[in-house]
Amino acid sequence: MWNELLFAFQSVATLPNFLAMFAGIWGGVIIGAIPGMTGTMAVTLALPFTFYLPPVTSLLLLVALYKGSTYGGSISAILIKTPGTASAACTVLDGYPLARAGKGGKALNMALISSCIGDFISNISLFFLAMPLAMFALRVGPPEFFMLMAFSLTIVASISGRSLVLGIIAACLGLLLATVGEDIYGSYRFALSEDMKSGLGMVPVLIGLFALPELIKMIVFRPEDNSQAMKLGDNRLTLSEFRGSIKSICRGSVIGVILGAIPGIGPSTAAFFSYSEARRTSKNGDKFGEGELEGIAASESANNGACGATMIPLLALGVPGDVITGVMLGAFMIHGLTPGPLLFQNNLGEVYSLFIGMLFSSLFLFIAGKLTAGAFTKISRIPQTLLLPCILILCVYGIYSIGASPFDVTVLLVMGVVGFAMMLLNIPAAPFLIAFILGPMFEDNMRRSLAISRGDLGVFFQSWISWGFFILTILFVTLTIRREWKKWRDRRASAQSAS
Amino acid sequence: MNQNRDFYAGLVATVFFAIVLFVLIPIYVKVPSFIPGFAPPPDMWPRVVAVIGLVMGILALVLAFPKSRKASGETVTSLGFYVNRNKVFITRFVLLLVLFVTFVYGLPVIGFVPATVLLLGILFLMTGNFGNKVWMIGLTIIFPVLLYLLFTEVTHTPFPEGMLFSNSLSDLVTLI
Repeated sequence: MWNELLFAFQSVATLPNFLAMFAGIWGGVIIGAIPGMTGTMAVTLALPFTFYLPPVTSLLLLVALYKGSTYGGSISAILIKTPGTASAACTVLDGYPLARAGKGGKALNMALISSCIGDFISNISLFFLAMPLAMFALRVGPPEFFMLMAFSLTIVASISGRSLVLGIIAACLGLLLATVGEDIYGSYRFALSEDMKSGLGMVPVLIGLFALPELIKMIVFRPEDNSQAMKLGDNRLTLSEFRGSIKSICRGSVIGVILGAIPGIGPSTAAFFSYSEARRTSKNGDKFGEGELEGIAASESANNGACGATMIPLLALGVPGDVITGVMLGAFMIHGLTPGPLLFQNNLGEVYSLFIGMLFSSLFLFIAGKLTAGAFTKISRIPQTLLLPCILILCVYGIYSIGASPFDVTVLLVMGVVGFAMMLLNIPAAPFLIAFILGPMFEDNMRRSLAISRGDLGVFFQSWISWGFFILTILFVTLTIRREWKKWRDRRASAQSAS
Repeated sequence: MNQNRDFYAGLVATVFFAIVLFVLIPIYVKVPSFIPGFAPPPDMWPRVVAVIGLVMGILALVLAFPKSRKASGETVTSLGFYVNRNKVFITRFVLLLVLFVTFVYGLPVIGFVPATVLLLGILFLMTGNFGNKVWMIGLTIIFPVLLYLLFTEVTHTPFPEGMLFSNSLSDLVTLI
């Protein structure tokens, strides 16, 4: 094994491989930072170039693009409240308030360090745990998925802010909008027009909900400070701030690795799950959503942690977990490599080279991220009256480029107006967001499980994984009810004593 | 103020989820005549969500009503009062809505680039801050054109040319 590893190290440590990784990471960071341009787009665009490259170099280029774009999404999420990718949606919640408070650079630094650590841990797991994790992933069927999603949805209670009732209303709105379009059995729901038959795109909904309300608010209310640039404060991340978030980073990375290894889950869910866990367990949990560095650390470590882990089912079983790994499966085939158990027998050299190259890519991510984030921080100096209208135009172009569909632009603008109305009515946007992302997975797996069991609810309690998530869900719901009851009693007591 | 907002949030949610439950689901969620095995029908989940939303909306109303009565001297601030007090804001919001609708419908007629140039220009005007006139004029023209070039060259996105200008405008932009 050690001889093969040494040989793989020698074959990876070449200038063309390093250049490919650096170009991939840098290109990915920039593409990820542009709203509407996704990692899938970056990987697909780069695929034709890989025809002319050696197998390992081309695969490293594609992996680097994927990782770079996942981190890049956090730059626009933090600085302009526009998640460049869906997996960065969670980063908006704490990143933008920090940027508004003049700590954009600090937030970007935390996002970068957490992403690099998450990425590194995920690469190490890929190296040592590919097979056991792939076997675990195979045990996760629709009932386990359903229980996992049910537990993830309980985060609504902790991100509802002032009112749990309004948080649940927002979540219901998100769940309802997620049902628009064709369901798993081919029935159309709420297809008010021909365009709505294919459902509402995730990116236009997310960007519309977060980026546009700020612009509408500025135009409608014209606050006095809107001609000012954001404040620029101390941008350095201190050791104590890093130490305060290290637990969330490690936990987020592990969550990213486990969820990333399960086909179909992906970095967005991992980010929300990790954020939710960090909020539940952190002593600063109450400050999450108002500009807490730990929130950024939790979501960014998980989404980058999931990136490397999505390669686990692909390499070990030949199963692509999402669209990007599907494209990568094509790249493997183009170069005569067939992912699956036989890959580890027939092409062990290439597999080790890929693993070692991915370890290097974490370092490249740090360098490219540091250089790029420094340049992007200058965005904070642009006055809001110039910046926000330009962001809308950037979003319009980015959204249109995803599917060349004017309907997506309409969804973007409508969601902007909906987001503004929610802002006015104090309805929190975060529960809407998580419900919109997790809703389809929750429903599809519930319906699949019931179809498999012919309506027997016992299907949800047949494995220890389902039981584990069920107990956690019940526990958390009970704690939430107790907390709300206590809050209500305290409020009533204080009102009585005041009267 | 918060109590009034909670009241209106509850009201809006109740009305919205009631419309979804009693009007939209019966019309726009068709149940197929054959469902394989025991697959729950497609309207099951939207109905469950709409019922929860409706219950929560009513709960928000019930929780906010007594507090808002107390907060605003035994009466909930009426919608008419709000409209009257915020006339300027409402006018700006309506103008913005008109701008968005015009943009969506005007896009296929005048083309993507001119439509985004006009949208950006009008948005700059609507911000009401003219301290950076030169930047505003420059960005209005250059920014959409740069984005057009970026997306057509990198992602090969086929942006609508517009019925009025046909290919000439995009040719000109590409030439520039």
